[in-house]
Amino acid sequence: MTKKPPDYVRRQRHRFSRRALLVGAGQAGLFGVLGWRLHQLQILDSSDYRLLSDENRMTMQLVAPSRGAIYDRFGTIIAEDRENLRVLVLPAFCKSLSGTLDALATVVPVSDATRDRIARAARRQSGYYPVLVTEGLSWRQFALLNVLAPQIPGMRTDRSAYRLYNHARPMAHVVGYVGMAGKAEVNDDPVMRLPGFRTGRTGVEKTFDRELRGSPGTIEYEVDVHGRVVRELGSKPSTKGKDIVLTIDHHLQTVAQDRIKDHRVASMVVMDVVTGGILVMASTPTFDPNAIAFNPDLEQWKELAKNRDHPLHNRAVRGQYPPGSTFKVVTALAGLSAGVIDAEEQMRCPGSYAVGRKIFRCWKSHGGGIDVHQAIKQSCDVYFYETAKRMGIDHLALVARELGLGQTYDCGLPGQKPGLIPDKAWKRAKLFDAWYPGETVIAGIGQGFVSTTPLQLAVMTARVATGRAVLPRLVMSAGDEVEPWPLVNLDPAHLEIVRNGMIGVVNEKGGTAGRSALKLPGVQMAGKTGTSQVVSSRNEHKLSAYERETHALFIAFAPAHAPRYAAACVVEHGGGGSRAAAPMVSDVMTELLLRDPAGRPTFVSTNEDQTPSALAVVGSAR
Amino acid sequence: MKMLFADAAPPKLNLGKKLLLLNWPFLLLITAIALVGAAALYSVAGGALDPWASRHVVRFCFGLALLFAVAFSDIRWWLRGAYPLYLVALLLMIAVPLIGIESGGARRWLGYGELTFQPSEMMKIALVLALARYYQWLPPEKIWRPDALLPPVLMIGLPLLLALAQPDLGTALLFAVIGGGLLFLAGVSWLYFVAGIVGIVVALPHAWEALHDYQRERVLTFIDPERDPLGSGYHILQSKIAIGSGGLTGKGFMQGTQAQLNFLPEKHTDFIFTMFAEEMGFIGAVALLALYLLALLFITYMALRCRSTFARLVAAGMGLCLFTYVFINVAMVTGLVPVVGVPLPLVSYGGTSMLTMIVGLGFVLNAHVNRKVTFRPEETGPLW
Repeated sequence: MTKKPPDYVRRQRHRFSRRALLVGAGQAGLFGVLGWRLHQLQILDSSDYRLLSDENRMTMQLVAPSRGAIYDRFGTIIAEDRENLRVLVLPAFCKSLSGTLDALATVVPVSDATRDRIARAARRQSGYYPVLVTEGLSWRQFALLNVLAPQIPGMRTDRSAYRLYNHARPMAHVVGYVGMAGKAEVNDDPVMRLPGFRTGRTGVEKTFDRELRGSPGTIEYEVDVHGRVVRELGSKPSTKGKDIVLTIDHHLQTVAQDRIKDHRVASMVVMDVVTGGILVMASTPTFDPNAIAFNPDLEQWKELAKNRDHPLHNRAVRGQYPPGSTFKVVTALAGLSAGVIDAEEQMRCPGSYAVGRKIFRCWKSHGGGIDVHQAIKQSCDVYFYETAKRMGIDHLALVARELGLGQTYDCGLPGQKPGLIPDKAWKRAKLFDAWYPGETVIAGIGQGFVSTTPLQLAVMTARVATGRAVLPRLVMSAGDEVEPWPLVNLDPAHLEIVRNGMIGVVNEKGGTAGRSALKLPGVQMAGKTGTSQVVSSRNEHKLSAYERETHALFIAFAPAHAPRYAAACVVEHGGGGSRAAAPMVSDVMTELLLRDPAGRPTFVSTNEDQTPSALAVVGSAR
Repeated sequence: MKMLFADAAPPKLNLGKKLLLLNWPFLLLITAIALVGAAALYSVAGGALDPWASRHVVRFCFGLALLFAVAFSDIRWWLRGAYPLYLVALLLMIAVPLIGIESGGARRWLGYGELTFQPSEMMKIALVLALARYYQWLPPEKIWRPDALLPPVLMIGLPLLLALAQPDLGTALLFAVIGGGLLFLAGVSWLYFVAGIVGIVVALPHAWEALHDYQRERVLTFIDPERDPLGSGYHILQSKIAIGSGGLTGKGFMQGTQAQLNFLPEKHTDFIFTMFAEEMGFIGAVALLALYLLALLFITYMALRCRSTFARLVAAGMGLCLFTYVFINVAMVTGLVPVVGVPLPLVSYGGTSMLTMIVGLGFVLNAHVNRKVTFRPEETGPLW
């Protein structure tokens, strides 16, 4: 009988329990030490530390960077920062917020709405963030406030910047405007919390906001309990945002804007076909961004936003129109590339065309002998009905996309609409329906589902003119030579046929835009008119006379035999393309060719990083 | 011997059972602590979710997913994987001085570009698992023997020396506390600890020689903060002013002057407790400490209920880790110990430390879920 061995496992478990309790007690004891320490700091010695904390308060504030300027291609300043005198409050340093505001109200008007806004801001964020009271002070008010500063606790005055737009109305849609940072943006970047900080809301101001914004500086100072500055401890200057040089020529832009402004709604785009640079992008009706960016008048803003003609919309990229006969350029190229027509084939135009039981009309009876040149020149619908029917919609869509239609461009313009180039797959996916031959036929003359924006039409024209896949640009890329665009996937001979047709439109007898030929010696313009129906005859009776009217379109390039510029113009409900749109393009093109902006050196911004007087001037200096 | 592992068929747990066995109140408790952290970070940013509070919450949610994954995984994997994991962590720590990224005078990170990784964080978990694994294997009657003590001392010593070499005093301290604590809990004789403490006292003057200048400076300014109020004593002094000026009830949420006015450096990471104590006062600070203490009591309770040595030691080890973090951090910001740069678990902003802590808590829950599990000797296997 051996002695029972000791149960080591049980012993070990008991030892673990004992020691775990011991460790637990030790932990609780050490936490007790922490509690005792906190008691010592926060209860026993609290008054000493409170005194110390009141004595030294250091505040660091961000200094807003000044926003980069926007220039046109020849260095005319379009948008720039100007000095803006402001008054702010730091709620944490006010004896009472309303008392401070009452004192301020003796110098500058403080409305009840402003009071509400400030009270709300003071509740929502830390009291050490300054809140804007009023900006755009006069020098007199500014000086007076600075004199009164010692008697108004919590007040600060400073100089910041506001945005000034020169040549505002013609450039409004392209450049856009700035506005107070939206709620969603505020958390994005600490600089957004600076009172009155503005970011780009539309146009180039929005797209290039990051570049234009710059980066904030800081200023550190020690303040006493009342928020008065004891001394400045140091500062880091802010960095000015990058300047942006547009490809727009503001002189031509103004000419174009003046020319189209007689129409209720119209837009025009002119491009340099070699670089893709947009020289003109005018849209009417327009607005004054200065009225929106700085101290906006609410009534005026409401009126702008509610206006039925939508002055805030950039028609050149947001207006989607059936391209009408301007699309025949595409149909002709598609037909030639598909091999369903050739340069020689002639058709007869009896003035109408039947598909099944449906009759499609031509705008006039052209008679016999219509080849592709004559069809473009005289804009014969029947020829293109037949061409479209022979090749089918999918090939037409393919060529339309090759020419840049049905897409948006990454050129720095926000809010672009893609337009629509329909094909069978699209209709099945979106309308759950098969494609009908009649729809192909009307697509051949740019009606039906087809829609394009003026910018897309300009790009299409540029591609036809050069045979290269030109893309639009709005901002000058500094210095470097532009590489030639890649060739489009189309036969140069076919392009030549279509270009000759377009020359015929303007310069030959019987062309639809014969009256709009350039009056310059030795230079010709090529073009294509378009008159697109807006409504089907079924619901025509519901609309007013204006709304029933057709859209007038015109696309053009010049000089005809060595293309450099391409243009597109759309007049909403303007009537016929040859009457409403072509003469305006002709005038702008004349001015353009005389000025020849593409042949002149462009402006290069020096982009120096100077910080102007944006450094905060602190109100109550001792 | 066979008698000891009598309950032959180990209970096989499915996910449903595991969900029931999970300690839900404990989970609620750590979520509450993390939310306190989010609120504090919201206040530090001056009343904004960005840049810290929102990401903190997102990381915590991500961490919770990891926690569940760890808690519901099979404890046998970890028993088997403890040594390999430890070896990988050790190799990575050795790799750090060779190919690591230098930042702020210390080389602690591995990685490329934005993706960085701190092997010493991984080691904190791996060390606990490896030590627990060792004592699960060691027959209890041999614990007293000096040769049985050698492997665990090596396991603790190697990463500790590597951490000191980085140099990362905070992590080295953590390894020492976790390692020593686990040896103690595993049942190593008191005599060894007495001998160890005597050894340290003897070695201390030599260690002082080996310290870096900035570490010596920290110790000296800790002893006398006024030595250099604008230099390294600055942090402690400002932190004490902020906490002290909070008083009994604090200055109110988002109203702390010292923290809001940018007196404190790293106020969103290591010094977040300062800001919290300033704005919430003595009551708030003690309440937060009470939450942590409650969590620690939970962990001790869970460790006591485990049947296997492995589970017990894993749970207790992670508890030690949590305790050490909290204690060092709060003691540091209140000026009780020198500034060693340790975050406040679940409250401080920072990805890696939050992840380590939450995975560690996942292991505590894993041990708790598997509290009835015992291992047969063949499962434990040989030493390696």
